[in-house]
Amino acid sequence: MKAVALTILLAVSGIPILAGVGITLVEAADPAAWSTLLHFPGIGRSVALSVWTGAAGTVLALVLAHLTVALAGTSTWARRVEALALPVIALPHLALGIGLALLLSPSGLLLRALSPWATGLHRPPDWLLVQDPLGLSLVLGLAVKEAPFLILMLVGARAQVPVTRLMLQSRSLGYGRLKAWWVSVAPLLQRQIRLPLAAAIVFGVTNVEMAIPLGPVSPPPFAVVLWQWFTTSRLELRGAAFAGSILLVVVAIGTLAVAMSALRLARRVHSHYAASGRRGRSSTSIARTLAILPGLVLALASGAVAALVCRGLSPMWRFPAVLPEAIDASLIERSAPSLGAALGTTLALGGITVVLAVGLSLWVAESLSRDSLWRRRVGVVLFAPLLLPQMAFLFGFQWLVVRLGIDGTWWAVGWEHALFALPYAWGIVAGARSALDSRLVVTARTLGAGLLRAWWAVVVPLLSRSVLLAGAIAFSVSVALYLPTLFAGAGRVATVATEAASAASSGNLRVAAVHGAAQAIAPLIALGVAMLTGQSLFRNRQGVPR
Amino acid sequence: MQSFRSHWLLLLLSIGACGISDAQAATPSQDAWQEVERNARGTTVYFNAWAGDEAINRYIAWAEREVSRRYGVTLVHVKVADIAEAVTRVLAERAAGRTSQGSIDLLWINGENFSALRRAGLLYGPWADQVPNAQLIDTKGNPTTIVDFTVATEGYELAWGSARFTMFYDSATVGEPPRTPATLLGWIRGHQGRFTYPRPPDFLGTSFIKQLLLVLMPDPSRLASPVGPDFEAVTRPLWDWLDAAHPGMWRRGRLFPASGPAQRELLAVGEVDWALAFNPLEALRAISNHELPATVRATTFAGGALANSHFLAIPFNARSRDGALVVANFLLSPEAQAYKADGAIWGDPTVLNLDALAPADRRRFSPAAGIPILPSEHLLTEPDASWSAALVQAWLGRYGVQ
Repeated sequence: MKAVALTILLAVSGIPILAGVGITLVEAADPAAWSTLLHFPGIGRSVALSVWTGAAGTVLALVLAHLTVALAGTSTWARRVEALALPVIALPHLALGIGLALLLSPSGLLLRALSPWATGLHRPPDWLLVQDPLGLSLVLGLAVKEAPFLILMLVGARAQVPVTRLMLQSRSLGYGRLKAWWVSVAPLLQRQIRLPLAAAIVFGVTNVEMAIPLGPVSPPPFAVVLWQWFTTSRLELRGAAFAGSILLVVVAIGTLAVAMSALRLARRVHSHYAASGRRGRSSTSIARTLAILPGLVLALASGAVAALVCRGLSPMWRFPAVLPEAIDASLIERSAPSLGAALGTTLALGGITVVLAVGLSLWVAESLSRDSLWRRRVGVVLFAPLLLPQMAFLFGFQWLVVRLGIDGTWWAVGWEHALFALPYAWGIVAGARSALDSRLVVTARTLGAGLLRAWWAVVVPLLSRSVLLAGAIAFSVSVALYLPTLFAGAGRVATVATEAASAASSGNLRVAAVHGAAQAIAPLIALGVAMLTGQSLFRNRQGVPR
Repeated sequence: MQSFRSHWLLLLLSIGACGISDAQAATPSQDAWQEVERNARGTTVYFNAWAGDEAINRYIAWAEREVSRRYGVTLVHVKVADIAEAVTRVLAERAAGRTSQGSIDLLWINGENFSALRRAGLLYGPWADQVPNAQLIDTKGNPTTIVDFTVATEGYELAWGSARFTMFYDSATVGEPPRTPATLLGWIRGHQGRFTYPRPPDFLGTSFIKQLLLVLMPDPSRLASPVGPDFEAVTRPLWDWLDAAHPGMWRRGRLFPASGPAQRELLAVGEVDWALAFNPLEALRAISNHELPATVRATTFAGGALANSHFLAIPFNARSRDGALVVANFLLSPEAQAYKADGAIWGDPTVLNLDALAPADRRRFSPAAGIPILPSEHLLTEPDASWSAALVQAWLGRYGVQ
């Protein structure tokens, strides 16, 4: 069973990865391509920008996430954190990026709210706030987007950590709530989220969706440079683009290595803090002050959505009006039929992705439940699509589906979506499965249950929370995918993501805002379903990890 | 359109004229075309076209309904954010050895994308002079319909619409617009942060620097032939102008909008007073849709406006070639062209020779359709295609890293 499961998983994930890597290596084998790449003006600055913004954004997000979970874990609003984090995760990157730009730029919602009564401004000032040369606005955007993801991962990891016992022990030793959490629970949680954290760092370094609306342009981050080369008609840059993809992988891995050693250093500092003997009993007042920070993330995300809505509703939004002068819903009405069809396709594809990604993960995780070596190997393979720059990878995948003659079909698109959802689904499901007490299954078997029954009656209910979470994330990954959908679908499978991106490309933020809102709604529906299902499931299951 | 026909004679550059007579190939026989129409019935044509403008999408949706009703052809608008995505797809298909049954039947294309695909042998043709309505195209009055950025089309793409470089400004703040490089420079210096242009290699941004160079050079005829070692000397006036103007521009020339529509957005919220476009009627339509203030007007450089056309092409491996031919022919019909030229629909100027049309067809074109709202009817053709890449490269070298 193990061999069969592994073969299928590798066929689904490994073959496209091989095709992607193979095509990239073949195309990049030209020395002229490397010469073009390395002599391109500003390429060093671009690479440095990618590393700096990706690393800084992720570090900021990690600090925010730990802080949020610690504050939530030591107070009564634990459950609310998750409910607030999920909508931000579901928000597509491009929509959030554009929304933040509409919020923070000189003509943005924030300054409008203060003008002219406080600032005296009647025209937007000529300030370089968004897309600043240092990439600070991009760092902020990445932090806002990644913090909720890491929060969710930390919350999920709590199931594997005996939080109550650890807190009781530390508290009985006289530690204040917050310090007790920091010292006993947080390090164990951190150990559980290493893979998601690596994914966040790689995303930070290689993303284009947030870097386009928020990142600097002279020069842009390296991933944006590559994206420009892949989408230019100057075919002589294609070789350099593939060579650049290899460089980007190297840069991403380098950043990961540096981040991991930085984490080791942080652990040493942390153990000093833990062993200092101070009980930190006064930490509640600090906690109250720190609680502003997670609130700020949420405020920025909601402000971005508000700015998107304002822009989507009005044809013209002159500074300094806070609300649109005239609300015109005709655009939404006109877009309704095509949006409806695209939304249907999106929901169906999301469903297929969830079944494929979560189903496969469950199956393989079960057969590898006692084989940590293979579990790690599978994790690395599944992780590859997130590590490779999308454009380079997609060209190989495109070659593959054209070879198989299935391009432009739902099969191809579903396959590709599963490919991008699998690393997340696997990370959650396999982690949870391996953390289950193996004696539970043994007990069920000694009571006479067959393999299947023991799995269905014992393992699945215990994993139900993780499965729901993995399903919700797989769904939102599927909804957010733009380039993969476009390529595998030969442009014929229209989802809200492809509709939103083609609108955003025009720079017509109003149309983009309408489509972006639709893109945010789809995963919210799925999340709602998952949460309601979860609630009804857990009603009679006290003690199931949640 | 008629109003400026005589001015075409004033074209500063008439390169590529050698290809013109060849392109007027013999007209196809009635039977052969009926055969094409018969074969096309029941086929599906995937039309890959930029989908960034709602008005254009609505026009294509109208064409989808019409060709289905008239010819039984199912036209599908494959919406792309950048036509280079489609170019990439054709490349991937060739790499995978698919020489027929390709996923794209018809492409909306021009300029560098055309010359790249043509050079790589990825286009089907020649076909453009063989569809019946191609005879109606004003190739004499408007040479840009058969010479795309100085590359002769040679029947590998069919002119669909024409365009000329236009600048929009808010007359409430600008007043009488500057129309020469010198006066524009003075205006920019006097109005800190109120002018900008899209960042090359964006299509419009690149066009802006080409347009500037054309009006800055004492004798632009040099641009008709390929780039040579004299590049620095020839383009000197352009860099001097930009060096002087950038500090007075939006964000002091350290940031540029990503595209033409992105800059229009800046004009709409009030960050800048200017926007650029290739369609003189775009501002009119934006005003009537309440997307721009009613005080916005259009202007061009007194030295002339850069002009070009946009085209339809068929990839070498298209699945429904006959269907694509029928659709292309329909899009060139007087009815479809007149509907497209209507300012309330799309406002894209026609490529047809109105004088050659039957009176009934000519009447379809409302009087306003052919009349540009521009003060200048003096048109400049595109420099040789090699200048675009060289100018972008030099621009990025100078201003791309700050």
